[in-house]
Amino acid sequence: MERQEIIDGLVEILKTVRTIDPQKLNKVTEETDFIADLNTPSTEMINIAAKAEQKFDVEFDDDDIDNLGSKVKDIVDLILTVKERE
Amino acid sequence: MQIAGRRVAVVGMGGAFPDCANLAEFSDKLFSGKSLVREWGEAAAHGKNIRSTVSGYITEAEMGLEPIYSTLAENYPETYIDKLKRIPDANLSTADVGSIWSMLGSLDAIKMAGWTEAETQSGQTGVVIGSGGAGHVILRSAWHNFFELGKKTRAAGSHTVDRAMVYRDAANVSCLIKNKGVCESIGSACATGLGNIGYAYRLIRYGLQDRAIAGGVEGTSLETFIGFDAMQVLSRGFSPLESSRPFDVNRNGFVCSFGCGIVALEEYEMAKARGAHILGVIDNYFNNSDGDGNMFFPSFSGQKKLWEGLLDNSELRPDVVKVHGTSTPVGDAIELLSVVDVMGEKGYHISAPKSQFGHMLGAAGSVEFITALLMLQQQKVLPCLNAVTLNPELEAIQKTIGWKGPVKPLEAYRDLILQETISKEINRIVCLNYGFGGTNSAISVSRELL
Repeated sequence: MERQEIIDGLVEILKTVRTIDPQKLNKVTEETDFIADLNTPSTEMINIAAKAEQKFDVEFDDDDIDNLGSKVKDIVDLILTVKERE
Repeated sequence: MQIAGRRVAVVGMGGAFPDCANLAEFSDKLFSGKSLVREWGEAAAHGKNIRSTVSGYITEAEMGLEPIYSTLAENYPETYIDKLKRIPDANLSTADVGSIWSMLGSLDAIKMAGWTEAETQSGQTGVVIGSGGAGHVILRSAWHNFFELGKKTRAAGSHTVDRAMVYRDAANVSCLIKNKGVCESIGSACATGLGNIGYAYRLIRYGLQDRAIAGGVEGTSLETFIGFDAMQVLSRGFSPLESSRPFDVNRNGFVCSFGCGIVALEEYEMAKARGAHILGVIDNYFNNSDGDGNMFFPSFSGQKKLWEGLLDNSELRPDVVKVHGTSTPVGDAIELLSVVDVMGEKGYHISAPKSQFGHMLGAAGSVEFITALLMLQQQKVLPCLNAVTLNPELEAIQKTIGWKGPVKPLEAYRDLILQETISKEINRIVCLNYGFGGTNSAISVSRELL
């Protein structure tokens, strides 16, 4: 799975989070920070991670989520790592 | 301790009302004698597994709300969309339906009160709102996905706590209006709505706050409904419009309903000084417990002591008594006898608004307080629908040894209970509500006499 394909999928997830301004989703890159750049409420991060599990058919460990950074690249890396692990 | 000369005015009101788009429609329908009770398809869909199928319910669509269901947890409303754009998405994300109604009612009450942003957000503005039940709709599907379907806790997302906690309604309103005073929730079963208003009254009366948003809410929930249905205490066998019939000899239970009533309270002199429209002035609030160890059965002596505490040796008497009047066989009889014992056989009227919209549980006291404010405003007494025939025989309690209450059968008090709206001078109304656990609450509210 290509990294851009994952980013596009993440943007689709972010569009369902109503507390994120949709206009901020036009220029999402690997360096975009969910909290600093998109103003995502921190309570929504676990919801995004759970939806990513469903969308990309992976299962994160609790440690994966505890150690997850807040940038887009962090979750892209995690998805690819977990896919390889599985 | 009460501060001499400090009084409390009601300066705003709002809420959510069955089969009504807004407060104005609620008022119009009530004074024109309509019932807001309907056949409830959501209950009827359960066939023989459910006993009662009538309710004063409110749908999400009727409130301009659309649920967004989770893709991770079955039947879990992840959040709601406010199609009328009254509540920001961030606030919707932490709210169950009842909390959304509370926020909407609070915005209406604040708008009517005319509070500035600085006043609303002051450390002297409190929020006191409670609910009878928990966030059942949220909890039911969240728990089902974890316990029955074996899903991870995160499947239901990160908002089951804030959307289901006991004081979720107060918390959501406080986060919306950004007040800096107290934010609490009083729970007293079916006295909750009045209890929260009474507590807020005391906060202002005792000098702890200058303003308060207060009330009660009961979001539409079949989970709540079925608990009472199992107790066999809900009305059945009548058409929806005839199901709630307080004091009628053929009454057989209450109509389980849902709604929200929010009022804005303000220290009287402050409200006057800024030229606020005063909807009513609270004379006193009192609450007590039966003290007989009975969770459910109402108490004649408990209600008499409630009146003693409320009137506090004052000679003032209400023109209307807004009763709890649930339409249960035992409750209505004891309540009418206790009212007559204190108030006598004439010189006032009894209004039982549950006859028009059923029993809103945790919202009952606050929505019915709003009906009292509307009665003061309109100078009309709301009717007691379906009170067609009052018992010509003595009640069982009147035949007990040592009975010291009224000795006439209920039909002797027919003239107090009208089935149609009437106009008359109304200067003072007493509101009564009781709840499981033997808790009793009463408030007296007067028209501002200029």
